[in-house]
Amino acid sequence: MKRSPDIYEILERAFHGEYCTAKDWDLKKIPTAVRSVLKKYRLENTCDPDNPVNFDYDLADEFYKAGFELALMLGYFVEDTERIIKVDEEELSYALKFAPSELFLGEGKDGTWLRSRTPADPYPCKVACSLGITVSEDIFLKLVSGIAREREVDVLEAGSLITVNGHEVLSGTPIETLMGYTHGQLQRQARNLAGRPGMGAIGSISAVTEFGQFGAYGTPGGFSNKDLALILFPSEMKVDYRTLNKVIHTLNMGGVIKADSPSMIGGMVGPAEGAVVAEVACTLLSYAILMNTVGGGEIYDVRYLSNVNREGLWALSTVNQALSRNTHLMLHNIANEVSGPCTENLLYEIAAGMATLACSGATLSTGPRSAGGKMHDHITPLECRFVGEVAHKASPMQPKEVNDIVKKILPKYEATLKTPDLGRRFQDCYNLDTMQPIPEWEAMYRKVKDDVRDMGIPLDNF
Amino acid sequence: MSNDFIVKLKQAVLDGDEEIAQSAARSALDSGIDPLEIVKLSIQPAMDEIGDMFQNGDAYLPELIIAGDAATKALDLIMAKLAEKGQDFNSGTVVLGVMYGDNHDIGKNLVLAVLAANGFKVIDLGVNVQPKQLIDAAIKNNADIIAASTLITTSLPYTRELIGLLTAMGKRDDYFCIFGGGPVTPEWVVKAEADGYGRDAKDAVTLCKKLIEIGSRSKLSEPIIENALISK
Repeated sequence: MKRSPDIYEILERAFHGEYCTAKDWDLKKIPTAVRSVLKKYRLENTCDPDNPVNFDYDLADEFYKAGFELALMLGYFVEDTERIIKVDEEELSYALKFAPSELFLGEGKDGTWLRSRTPADPYPCKVACSLGITVSEDIFLKLVSGIAREREVDVLEAGSLITVNGHEVLSGTPIETLMGYTHGQLQRQARNLAGRPGMGAIGSISAVTEFGQFGAYGTPGGFSNKDLALILFPSEMKVDYRTLNKVIHTLNMGGVIKADSPSMIGGMVGPAEGAVVAEVACTLLSYAILMNTVGGGEIYDVRYLSNVNREGLWALSTVNQALSRNTHLMLHNIANEVSGPCTENLLYEIAAGMATLACSGATLSTGPRSAGGKMHDHITPLECRFVGEVAHKASPMQPKEVNDIVKKILPKYEATLKTPDLGRRFQDCYNLDTMQPIPEWEAMYRKVKDDVRDMGIPLDNF
Repeated sequence: MSNDFIVKLKQAVLDGDEEIAQSAARSALDSGIDPLEIVKLSIQPAMDEIGDMFQNGDAYLPELIIAGDAATKALDLIMAKLAEKGQDFNSGTVVLGVMYGDNHDIGKNLVLAVLAANGFKVIDLGVNVQPKQLIDAAIKNNADIIAASTLITTSLPYTRELIGLLTAMGKRDDYFCIFGGGPVTPEWVVKAEADGYGRDAKDAVTLCKKLIEIGSRSKLSEPIIENALISK
C-alpha cells in the first residue's frame, strides 16, 4: 500500500501542484464538485429542519461515500501559491487507516483519554472549554483557573488575550509571538492554580498566525507536546503557509496536531447538504495533508454565524455520524452559541448543540462560544460546567431520542438567533472574591438544568 | 420588445451570466430605454431578489457573487452611457478589505456583492490588508469610503491604526471609515473614532448610502451605528 505523502512531498505539491486561481476555486471548482457528488449520491434536499438531529444512519453513510469521493476530486487549495495539494485514493486510505484512534491528553491523574466514538457510544464525548473569547489580561488567570476548576471540563482551551503586559496584540507582528509565550505561561499557571497541573490543553487559541504558535507551543512553561496544538485553517478545503508553518512547528516539537476548519452553510459549498459533504472531505484530507491526530467536522451557518439553528444542528449531527460510523478517527467539533452569559438562551443553545454533537459520535467538543465570541470577557465557568454536563450525559443517547428533545429546546431560542441577548461580562456575573456566580445567574442555571432534565437528558440533580 | 430586454437582463443577473447580462444591457440601451430605468427595473430587483433568496437559504454565496459580477458588467455599459449624457449612477466609491492578519473573506465577499449591486464602485483589496494599502487605494481611486472588516480580535487594532495613519497623513476628513466583522462593536467604532458600524452586508449598504448622502465628514456629528446587538 502506498504511504501518505510526507511533509516534504506536501510542500512540493503546495509549490508545484495544479494551478488554479482563488476565484475559480471558490466560484467554480468547489460549487461544481459539491453539486456533482450531491447529485450522484442523491443527497440533494435531504436536510430535514423538522428533525434537526439526523437519525438516518444510511443517509449519513451515503454522505461519507460522497465526501470521500469529493476529497479525491478536490484536494486542498493553497492560498499563497494558488496551487492544489491533491492526494490519491491509496494515499488517503493509508492516512485514514493509520490515524490513531485514541490519545492520552495531558499527564498523570489530571490527563484524559480521547477515544474514537460512534453515535450513542457509552464512552463519553470529552469537553474542552472555552472557545477563544477575548479576555482582559487582569482577569485572565482568575477566569481561566475558574474554568479549569470545573470538573466537568476535561480539557482546557480558555480565552484569548487582548493585551500582553498592557500592550495591545497585533496579528502577524512580533508582539503576537510575545503574546503566544505569555498565553502559554498563563494557561499553565491556571492549570496549576486549579490543582490540575496535568490537565490536557489545546493551544494556543490566541495565536492567529504562526508567530503566536511559535511563542506558545513547545516553549518551556507553555503548552507541551502532551497538549494538542491548535491549527485552524482559513476555510474548508483551503490552507495557507501559516497552516503549514504551524504543522511543521508542531512536528518539530514532537507534538500532537488538532487541525480543522468549518464549512459554511450558505457559503461556497451551498446548502446544509453541501456543507456536510464538504466537511467530510475536508476532515478526511486533513489526516493525509496536515498529519493531524484529531480532526474536525465543524459546520456553521453563514446567515447566523452559528450552528445551533435547525440546519446547523442537522449538519453537525450528519457530518459527525458520517465520519464516526465509517472511520476510527478522533473527531473534534464545536457548538457555536450566540447568546451571552446570564441568559437562559445561552444554556438552551448549549444543551441543543452539545447533546447533538455528543450523541452523534464526536470525540471532543469545544465550547461554549458565549455571546458568539463577540464580546470581551463574556464567558463564565458556570456555562462551561453546563457544556460538560450535557455532553457527558447525552453521549450514550440515541440520536432519535436527542432529536425529540432538541425539538422541544429549539423554540426557546430560535426566534432570537439573529438578535441574541449578549448577556454580561464575567466580572458582572460572578463574585470575584468567592468565585461563585451571582444568584441571578445561578438561578437561571438551576432552572434550565431542571428543564433540560425534564425533557430527557439525564443531568444530575445537584 | 424593449421590455423583453429588461426581463432578459434581470434573468441574466439572477443566473450570473455576464455575457447575456452585457448583451441585454446593450440592447436595452440601444432601444432607447433610459439607463437609470434599466437599473431600476432589472438590475436592482434582481439583486434584491437574490439577496432575499440568500437570506432564506434558497441561494448561496457563489450565486450572490456571480450575480454581482453580472450586474457589474451590465452597469459598466450603463454608466458609460450615463457619462456620455453627463449623468452619473455611481452611488459612491468604496475601498474594501479585510485587515492584516486575517484571511476570512466570506463576510467581505457578501459586502462586495451587495454594494456593487447597489451601484457602488468597489475596489476590493482582498484579505490580509495593511492600513496603508487601504489608504493608497482610496487616494488612487478618489474613494468616498474605506470599509474594513475582521473576524480576528488581534487584527482589530489595525482598524484604529488605519484612522491614526489617515490622521497623521492629514487625510482623515477625506474619507469616511466604516468597520464590521465578528469582534467589531459600536463601542470599538466610537473608540477608534470611525464613522460607522454595520453588522451584516445589508447594513453596509444602508450605512454607505447614508454616508454618501451626508457627503462630508465635517457634517457627521457621531458615527452611524446600524443594527447593533446589545450587551446588558
